Amino acid sequence: MKTQSVIGGAAVVVMGVGLFLAIEVPPEQVQGDFVKMLFIHVPSVMIAYLAFTVGLVGSLAYLATKNTSADRLAAASIEIGVVFTMLTLATGMIWGRPTWGVWWDWGDARMVSALFMLFFYLGYLALRRGVTDPKTRAGRTAVLGVVAFVQVPIVHFSVTWFRTLHQPATLFRPDVGNAPLDSVFVPPLLTALAAFLLVYLAFIRARYRLADRQDELAAAQMTSELAGSAVAEPILGGVHE
Amino acid sequence: MSGLLWGAMSVIRKDLLAEGRAGEVLTVTIPFGALALLFFPLSINTDLAVIRQIGPGIFWAVVLLFGILVTLRATAADPPQCRDLLLLSGVEPASIFLGRTAAGTLLLLVFELVLAPVMVVFYSPEGIAGWPWLFVVAGLVAIGLAALGTLAATLSTGLPSRSAIAPLLVAPLAAPILLAATETTDLLRTGQGIIRWILLLVAMDLALIIAGMLVAGPLEESMQ
Repeated sequence: MKTQSVIGGAAVVVMGVGLFLAIEVPPEQVQGDFVKMLFIHVPSVMIAYLAFTVGLVGSLAYLATKNTSADRLAAASIEIGVVFTMLTLATGMIWGRPTWGVWWDWGDARMVSALFMLFFYLGYLALRRGVTDPKTRAGRTAVLGVVAFVQVPIVHFSVTWFRTLHQPATLFRPDVGNAPLDSVFVPPLLTALAAFLLVYLAFIRARYRLADRQDELAAAQMTSELAGSAVAEPILGGVHE
Repeated sequence: MSGLLWGAMSVIRKDLLAEGRAGEVLTVTIPFGALALLFFPLSINTDLAVIRQIGPGIFWAVVLLFGILVTLRATAADPPQCRDLLLLSGVEPASIFLGRTAAGTLLLLVFELVLAPVMVVFYSPEGIAGWPWLFVVAGLVAIGLAALGTLAATLSTGLPSRSAIAPLLVAPLAAPILLAATETTDLLRTGQGIIRWILLLVAMDLALIIAGMLVAGPLEESMQ
């Protein structure tokens, strides 16, 4: 509980610093103050990638060791990745309306691939909820966690492979030295990234512990006596032998 | 290798026999798909120019959405006893995946071939440019969709919500297949090269088949 509070507290502090830095940043030449939306949008997608990568590692670890902790870690991370992907899409749309003039463009490779990735991982969560037996659930979702990850590089490199509306990657690009980012925007962006990372750590820890409790509860319910167990078949005037 | 193919052939035979007896695809899914093709002009626009423009795209969308139903047909879902018998007979999980994908591909091809004339009659009465290439595209789309459908059907075996979860798993991953198919049809109409989209379909099919064969073992294990 103490570690959880420390991580959560640190996330709040770093987020406050990031917010201050973002407010202090001057407006961008073309985008004006809307550039500040990218301090949420870019870290969100980075954390979503990280969450799905942890999901992949957890899934592979489960397939190799059959350790339920790995399954819980994968599920918790993917669930948080879904939340951050939703945040990415929402902030991208809010930023896109004043900058590009549209909320959504069906011809854009990044937007469409990210949306499909979100739906596929929602399918992962639906499958998880649909299977009640823990062993079967862990085995099936581990396979799906590995297959689903193929979409992460597709989403990231879609802006390189297809030249559509979305601009090329700002971070994690092949020619990293030529990142098209003015140095004034780097400190708030990196601070926001650190804050989001702490939020992810706090969330994953909480979700993992919750999954642990849920499994304990499910196991207890499986072994506890049913309401009708105390009643035996009727025997005339006597007791059971 | 021969064991793998022998097992796959047995599963193809079994699946096609079961489908032949039930007739689920032929008597239910195909008429339903054809009906969907007729609904689009009514719901969008009855202007012939618009219909000609959107026809091929709608055809592929119907193939994808109803093709999922073909891959999820009840005759492709083995009861646990049948699965156990297959494994006891020495049929490997990868063989089962291959056989089921091949049977699904054949049924999807039938589905596409029956629906294509309906699309031509109602959407492109003047015909489709470069149509012989569409046989190649139809084959590649059928393979990819069958592999994805087989994988999703295995993942959702025995679940009460199978009919909802499996399409949710197939549709997002089938997006590149839909994109390649519609782009190819568009490029054929304007007389441009289609080779890179054909290569994308081939790459998708190979990746899905290899991935399916690799995960077939662990998936089978999770069902024991």
